[in-house]
Amino acid sequence: MKTCIITGAGSGIGRATAIDLSFKDTFDTIVIIGRNLNNLDETYVRMNKKKDIRKIVFDLSNLRGIPDLVSEIYHYNDRIDCLLNIAGTVDPQPLLNTTLENMEETYTVNVFAPFMLIRECVKYMKNNDGGAKILNVASTAGMTPRPGWLSYSSSKAALISMSLTLSEELAEYKIKIYCVSPGRCATALRRKLAPEEDPSTIMQPEEVSNVICQLVSDEEQCLDGQNIIIRRK
Amino acid sequence: MNKPIPKQYLLLAGKPVIIHILERIDDIAEISEVIIVCHERYRDLLSTYISAYMLRKKIVFANAGTTRQESVYNGLQKVNTKLVILHEAARPFVKKSDFETLIHDENENITYGIDIPFTVLKTNNHYISGNLKRDELINIQLPQKFNASSLLQGHQMAIADKLVFTEDASLLFHYGLGAVKVVKGQPYNIKLTEPMDLLLGEIIYKEFFAGRD
Repeated sequence: MKTCIITGAGSGIGRATAIDLSFKDTFDTIVIIGRNLNNLDETYVRMNKKKDIRKIVFDLSNLRGIPDLVSEIYHYNDRIDCLLNIAGTVDPQPLLNTTLENMEETYTVNVFAPFMLIRECVKYMKNNDGGAKILNVASTAGMTPRPGWLSYSSSKAALISMSLTLSEELAEYKIKIYCVSPGRCATALRRKLAPEEDPSTIMQPEEVSNVICQLVSDEEQCLDGQNIIIRRK
Repeated sequence: MNKPIPKQYLLLAGKPVIIHILERIDDIAEISEVIIVCHERYRDLLSTYISAYMLRKKIVFANAGTTRQESVYNGLQKVNTKLVILHEAARPFVKKSDFETLIHDENENITYGIDIPFTVLKTNNHYISGNLKRDELINIQLPQKFNASSLLQGHQMAIADKLVFTEDASLLFHYGLGAVKVVKGQPYNIKLTEPMDLLLGEIIYKEFFAGRD
């Protein structure tokens, strides 16, 4: 029973990916994680019910709860094959308005939670016969200067760096690390960054999930270990 | 290596050197337990690593001695199986299959060895004192497998005779406690000795281990 964990599954790219993946053959069990049960329910309703779908309400800012969360997921099927770190948060502020709390909250969800999830999953994944895949959703904001988005853009830069480092560190376990950096995408998070933008004119979450599903499929073996930019030209 | 901590605890490709070995041993069913000979002050560090890397094999600690031979002897006293495999924590470039080759060989005493590609001569007081035939020499490489009671007996005899050996195939041979078979080792299975070896090690790791069994 191949198992995939998706964080941030209650909205945006996480939701689109959960729905999309449920109609693919890649995984048997899909664990969707989000903070809000109503949002997870809405995702669940749109997923393919022929799959074994598990909903888990969990706030990723509870970093110390992550080892037990991952352990519980692992022992359900005695394996974890894929982790998709999609959850993210943003509170755009200029430097002189950026509080330590803002920085800490952003890094907690965007950097520390992926780190904890990866660390705990790798404890199990490293014993998989066929390896495993981990995909982190960063952002083009982590690659170029974005005045006013200090905490968000620097946290995504950290996630890109973490992905590249772990790609080498975990290669012996046949764990492939993917990193995608979507450009402007019509999500709730994007609305905070660009409230005046018409979401119908930019990339949709389904376009990003389409790429993610291709990357985590069994056929894809060559695009790991690099930051893959996803955006409309 | 002029490092503040022993080389087996240094990071190689982002992972403690000794963990490279312990992970490869971890799912070899024929190995019932691992005896780690180390100084007492490193046991907590090792236990932390073993826990963090979720290693499942039973681990037993033995005290390090003042010499390599004494350390091996201390470890041998904890062995409760017929056969024992010896390895060095500073040789991380060993594959699971290297251990399995020893385990499945019918000979009880067996070691890896590689040809010597250079000339070795005897010296005395800075002058050549004797020639050695290169084709009769072998560079001994760990891991090795031995009959545990024979090797323990050899060590007890060496203690009584106050003889010191730098490895265990020579000790067993000296006391005639069993024939030792030699199988061809791998040139990349180097022992981390000099600081440069860690640099070479990163290359060896990427070429022969990353993304491989």
